[in-house]
Amino acid sequence: MEQTKINARQLFVLIVLFEHGSTMVIPLGGEAKQDVWLAILIGMIIGLLLFLVYYRLYLYYPDLPLTGYIQDITGPIFGKIFALVYVLYFLYLVARVLRDFGELLLTFAYPETPLFVLNAIMMLTVMYAVYKGIEVLARTGELFFTLLYVLAISGMILVVAAKLIDIHRLQPVLEEGWRRVFKVVFHQTLYIPFGEIIVFTMLFPYINNPKKTKIVALSAMTLSGINLAIMMTVNVAVLGADAVSRSTFPLLNTIREIQVANFLERLDVFFMIALIIGGFFKIGVFFYAAVIGAAHLFNVKEHHRLVYPLGLASLLLSIAVASNFPEHVKEGVNIATVYIHMPLQIILPVLLLAIAWIRQRM
Amino acid sequence: MLFQWGLRKKQPANSATTKEQEQSGQAKDVPNGSLDTIVNVNIDIVQRTTGNSSDIVIRRFTIGEENPIHAAIVFTDGLVDEKIIYNFLLESLMTVNIPSSFSPKDLFLFIEQKLAAVGGVKHVQQWFDVFSSLLSGQTIIFIDGIPTALSASTKGGEYRSIEEPSTQLAIRGPREGFTESLRTNTAMIRRRIKNPNLWLETMKIGEVTQTDVGIMYIKGIANDEIVEEVKKRLRSIHIDSVFESGYIEQLIEDQTFTLFPTTYHTERPDVVAANLVEGRVAVIVDGTPFVLLAPAVFIQFFQAVEDYYARFDIATALRFLRVLIFFISLVAPAVYISATTFHQEMIPTPLVIAIAAQREAVPFPAFVEALIMEVTFEILREAGVRLPRAVGQAVSIVGALVIGQSAVEAGIVSSAMVIIVSITAIASFATPSFAIAISARLIRFLLMFLAAMFGFYGVIIGLLLMTIHLCSLRSFGVPYMSPLAPFIPANAGDTIFRVPTWAFKERPRLINQANIIRQGENQRPQPPDETNNE
Amino acid sequence: MKRKAFFLIVLFMSMTVLSGCWSRKELTDLAFVIAVGLDKTKDGRYMATFQVVNPGNVAGATQRGGGSGGVPITLYKATGDNLVEASRKGSQKISRLIYYAHTNLIVIGEEMAKEGIGPLFDAMERNPQFRTTAIVVIARHRTAEEMLKILTPIDKLPANQMIKTLQFTEKTWGQNISVHVGEVINDLTSEGKEPVISGFRLVGGVQEGERQTNVQESEPDARLSADDLAILKDGKLVGWISGKAARGVLWGLDKIEQTVITIDWKHKQEAIAYKVVRAKTSVSADMKKGKPVVSVHIGAEGDIGEALVPLDFSDPQEIFALEKKIQKEIRQEIIKAIERAQQEKSDIFGFGEALHRSDPQEWKKIKADWNDTYFPQLEVKVSVDASIRRTGLRNKPYMFGR
Repeated sequence: MEQTKINARQLFVLIVLFEHGSTMVIPLGGEAKQDVWLAILIGMIIGLLLFLVYYRLYLYYPDLPLTGYIQDITGPIFGKIFALVYVLYFLYLVARVLRDFGELLLTFAYPETPLFVLNAIMMLTVMYAVYKGIEVLARTGELFFTLLYVLAISGMILVVAAKLIDIHRLQPVLEEGWRRVFKVVFHQTLYIPFGEIIVFTMLFPYINNPKKTKIVALSAMTLSGINLAIMMTVNVAVLGADAVSRSTFPLLNTIREIQVANFLERLDVFFMIALIIGGFFKIGVFFYAAVIGAAHLFNVKEHHRLVYPLGLASLLLSIAVASNFPEHVKEGVNIATVYIHMPLQIILPVLLLAIAWIRQRM
Repeated sequence: MLFQWGLRKKQPANSATTKEQEQSGQAKDVPNGSLDTIVNVNIDIVQRTTGNSSDIVIRRFTIGEENPIHAAIVFTDGLVDEKIIYNFLLESLMTVNIPSSFSPKDLFLFIEQKLAAVGGVKHVQQWFDVFSSLLSGQTIIFIDGIPTALSASTKGGEYRSIEEPSTQLAIRGPREGFTESLRTNTAMIRRRIKNPNLWLETMKIGEVTQTDVGIMYIKGIANDEIVEEVKKRLRSIHIDSVFESGYIEQLIEDQTFTLFPTTYHTERPDVVAANLVEGRVAVIVDGTPFVLLAPAVFIQFFQAVEDYYARFDIATALRFLRVLIFFISLVAPAVYISATTFHQEMIPTPLVIAIAAQREAVPFPAFVEALIMEVTFEILREAGVRLPRAVGQAVSIVGALVIGQSAVEAGIVSSAMVIIVSITAIASFATPSFAIAISARLIRFLLMFLAAMFGFYGVIIGLLLMTIHLCSLRSFGVPYMSPLAPFIPANAGDTIFRVPTWAFKERPRLINQANIIRQGENQRPQPPDETNNE
Repeated sequence: MKRKAFFLIVLFMSMTVLSGCWSRKELTDLAFVIAVGLDKTKDGRYMATFQVVNPGNVAGATQRGGGSGGVPITLYKATGDNLVEASRKGSQKISRLIYYAHTNLIVIGEEMAKEGIGPLFDAMERNPQFRTTAIVVIARHRTAEEMLKILTPIDKLPANQMIKTLQFTEKTWGQNISVHVGEVINDLTSEGKEPVISGFRLVGGVQEGERQTNVQESEPDARLSADDLAILKDGKLVGWISGKAARGVLWGLDKIEQTVITIDWKHKQEAIAYKVVRAKTSVSADMKKGKPVVSVHIGAEGDIGEALVPLDFSDPQEIFALEKKIQKEIRQEIIKAIERAQQEKSDIFGFGEALHRSDPQEWKKIKADWNDTYFPQLEVKVSVDASIRRTGLRNKPYMFGR
């Protein structure tokens, strides 16, 4: 186990970057049409409740990551199995996000380049960062956090300056009622990105000021939720709800609409930077969690010994996970949410908390 | 093979006694043990050991009329101030009248206490010490009958005088720069910090060259751990020669396999003084005007000394400009390559048509074109640096013609490419620190390769890798990217911003942890109270 | 540790070297298609016309490359059962890679538009090269191919000439509208709004227009000008709307930025020109007694540009009377436009969308019959509030005394 520590600010930055991750470029909750912002905000609120569950567990075992206390709660045999499941889950998420990332890049800029190459370069970058440790990842995060905000704010100014926003496109609110919103919440926005915060249970033992963890994580999630809601709302206001739900990357389309002063146009590179930075941190955090989880589980002293094998494994998995992009998306939305995200993000942690609570009482 | 000759195995460098006993390169012919009592024998040994070198001046004489005692002084011509020797040593020694009852021992004490009218006089008994002081400009006085010599400090000789530094020029600020003399350099720093807590420790590094190296820091402000770390790393250096602080720099860096400098070097005493007050440690090497400062952080390389002398608004603007400059010198050709070979969709239509028109006749792919131009430019630059001034002009004229005009007219490169290369070149000259400009120079080529292979994806990944690498670096334990990452709000005012001087409340936190506060409260200047005046 | 680093380096190197730059395309290998023309052939296939830039011949772009003799554009044609096929087939004739990222104009032949433009845009939306900000126009009475042949003075690239003409006339005159692909797609998919697209007219003959001599005359024989607005319904061109009614459409769409309204004054026809400098239209829709009611409110501000009758502008009473007249004139324009649209049963104003926003439940019930039943009988209340802010450098015309 690594002895390094990260501070509260770095945790905040990592959570924000992680939550934005690849979600800001995909049509997150696009099915909810004009009510997408509601879907995101409600997903966020339920996500915050979920986080409190994880946080409670963390309070019982402040020095252990998820894969550590799961063994304590459910006993050595089941514990090992569950811990392994979580490690595999994180690895699967690495592969999924990596695949998402590669597909996005391929579709929009590099149609002739093999997916494997694009993914491999990204994975190597992530492996390098994770090899260097969580401190380096966190510090890199601090720098890119600023960059991402500069990009977001200048992008926002440009969108407004280009007179692209049409508030009418956001109306009518709740056309189909709450049902459509909640359907989207429980099929997508709750798990991705908010439920994925479970990965941070692997990082909590590294925080040097545990008292602040709760408030920092909650505020970071809230900020991310609001940001994502704003971003999707802008997309809808610029493109129209229909176009957003039809497009693969609404953010790209929005950026492409920008034409200011006959020169500030074709700013696709904004999108690309956001995509790469977001993808990097999301994959990075998942991968780090998988690596330390595995190191903890198999008693490997130096976690970075596992970086190469696990990195290659998730790279190959990212290629093998689906044969085409629609299949990949289908898998993510229909299968992964119900059979993977829900049990691992909600059911199991809640059960763990219940057991831990009962034990505490006894 | 010189190295092997000079190398000695596993032993502390500054311990004279052990040095003497063991066989070593420098001491190969230096006799072991201590001095003889007879002057002639000693002189003989000196002559033999130095191979009768003509710059070793040996002056024999006698002291006293009635019962003359043989004596000799030995010094190295050129390293000493001859006036001191003649006026304050030779003259008094040769004319002095001593009682005949004086034994050599009495004489020795008499000379030491009364006659040698120079600042520092030391006893030397070991041959090793004799030679090391002789060769660093001391004058050795041998007296018959005593196995001890006096070493009088007569250092002098010709040095470059204090001039304006040739790097890190400033419009406003002190005009003096360091010289090759360690003593002059330390004096220049002392003159700026008149504080007894400014400590100087010296050691000799270089088995053959025995170069003086000084470590300067302010006790109580500098972090003791860092001072100890610097000393530890210096002590563990065992090489045969040190001719420039660059030798030391490369041996005390935290990490060798990096393109970025992790120590700062400067020619300006005011920079060193300011950094000492911030808690850094200066390593001054005799024989070079470049002083090392450690620990160094990345943002330091973008701060020119004038930032602190100018007002904060312009200083902040200039710092932004410098970061931009660094960025341009890093990515300009790579962006050009990516935009014109991968991402034509990202260039506005009129511009892409203009560039396409220029490139119609160019026979090379954009990457090759860029590479040719960049390499041409690097050749010109290298030629410009090494050539005598008179020829340099010719180079720049030819260069301007070659890359500026003829290449474009011949249709080998496009004028857009010339613009890009020129901007890159000017940007790399405008970077305030040469050390970081060199890093940018190398990374630029890496990014160009990445751009040629993957376009913007390659460039962004390249920059991402660079940032991760920067974040993983440490300089003497201090994170290289601090105070930006990890972000330290109290110190962030002196990074790419420069807040008003009255707001510099704290010293860099990671560098010194004990003595943080650097100025009093309410330093902000206030207009006089109007009501009181009336 | 070292072995691993070595392994990593080998992996990285082999990957980058093997990768061999798949997506690389040199500028000299690209044919920049600046405009695409779309027509139907007689056997029902698509004919695509590509206006490709000759970069070397675009004046001012370079000092080399023999800019003197050549024309700035070259046309290539290809037919196919769908657009992607036509586009790929075009490569048989072009020595370079057809590159759409700088396609800023889509010209649709009138015949083609009548048959329906619905399916045309899928390929454009799907292809990441293509920008949905490309402007769409319809070639009036002509095929798109003929329009694209014409060489133009001043702006050497005909596509640029057309785009800029359209944008500036929209801004200053307001009888044409520049719509881009994204907007057309949005309108096509929306149930409560139909697209309206500007037409372009060719004045003069194609024969003269396609030659370099056309741009060497002070008055070119063949010229392109923006003209009329096309009303579409279900993706098919159903009619044209022109003149003041066309401006009425822009009033309704809140697209007017500046324009000039001329009004009659005391028996003298077209006596006073009112320059609009700022205008704002707001549309609201409601269901009243089971019937949709739309009210349009227009606010306009402007100056007096010209006065051919003696009139004292320093008198607020006169100004007030004048404002009344202007309001009436604007009101007539928009009513004319609405009547024309109702006649074609095509809701180009997006009144249906407005209703959708204000009353989604009712909208659901009537949206299927909107264009054919409800819109033609729609009750539209138009109110105009025009004000004269300034009168220019003079307050009385010099004819005043006489």
